[in-house]
Amino acid sequence: MSGAVQPRVNLEHSTVLLIDDNPKSLDMLSSIFHGFGVKEQIKCESAAAATEIVKRRTIDLILVDCSMPDMDGYDFTRWLRRETPAPVRYTPVIMLTGHAATSGVQKSRDCGASFVIAKPLTPNVLLKRIMWLGADEREFVECDSYVGPDRRVRNFGPPLGMSGRRSGDLSTHVGVASEANMDQSDIDMLMKPRRVAL
Amino acid sequence: MSEARTFKVQSGLAKQLARPGGRTVDEAERRAAQGLASHREDTLVAIGRIIGELEQACAAAEAGQEAHVYERAATLIDLAGFFDTGPLYEAGYSLCELSDRMRGAGVWKWPAVEVHVKALRLIHAGGCKADDNAAVLLQGLRSVLGAFAPAA
Repeated sequence: MSGAVQPRVNLEHSTVLLIDDNPKSLDMLSSIFHGFGVKEQIKCESAAAATEIVKRRTIDLILVDCSMPDMDGYDFTRWLRRETPAPVRYTPVIMLTGHAATSGVQKSRDCGASFVIAKPLTPNVLLKRIMWLGADEREFVECDSYVGPDRRVRNFGPPLGMSGRRSGDLSTHVGVASEANMDQSDIDMLMKPRRVAL
Repeated sequence: MSEARTFKVQSGLAKQLARPGGRTVDEAERRAAQGLASHREDTLVAIGRIIGELEQACAAAEAGQEAHVYERAATLIDLAGFFDTGPLYEAGYSLCELSDRMRGAGVWKWPAVEVHVKALRLIHAGGCKADDNAAVLLQGLRSVLGAFAPAA
């Protein structure tokens, strides 16, 4: 018998939008996604140009650099989440950061990105995050101050079959019962108020 | 203030990933790493040019260049962050942090910038190796950075 079945990833029919003002970074991101099997990639050197693409095309995944002149990655994501119609506004967004300037920390938290990946970036980490997003069970939140995926990843745990980044991460899946069901009388006993003599 | 609305969404990405076919994760990672590696030499040349621009800025030491120094350092680590450039990335990150802190505090010390740029040049010329020399340089940069408290 052969060994365990290798996990597979199918991005052949996905359309990925890459946004970075540095052409060299765009080329490197493109090479990574080519390796992942993505055939349709759209490269944008400005977030403003990307807004026009998003209005016209169906995009499955957006990768955006956080720091760009004029409209940065935070502003772009905020625009996507708030100013575009459904289902465009639900498009998964991975934001890439190098150095997070003090002024950008709050924006990063509140812009509604699905994931923020800090460099150094490796194909391994990026692919794991993409697969995580594919199995993402977080709810989408819309309120006055925030539009985007629920930020409380820790409460919901990683998707089924994936290990979390923290040692204590548990999946929300309860799984199959490992013991026999309790009798109704046992359950009643747990809930039945009893008179206690003090 | 209106109430928060929460709901489940299945993205197009999730549907695509659920389709059969594609390639194994190992194969996808291997091909991606291979494609990325083909850019390494060009990128290191581009990083060398950025260090040159930072050297020019230090030599001129003119007022009003604070944002330029931060932007160049940020671009440097954006590029360096695609590869295992260990000490180079760390030194670049330290320069970003330093210039961000100094800008935030309204204090700008060119010698602190210059020592970072010199370290970047040495590490770059040494092939970005994480050796004893790089460790000593990084230790020095940590001391320089430590003199400027992060913004509250």
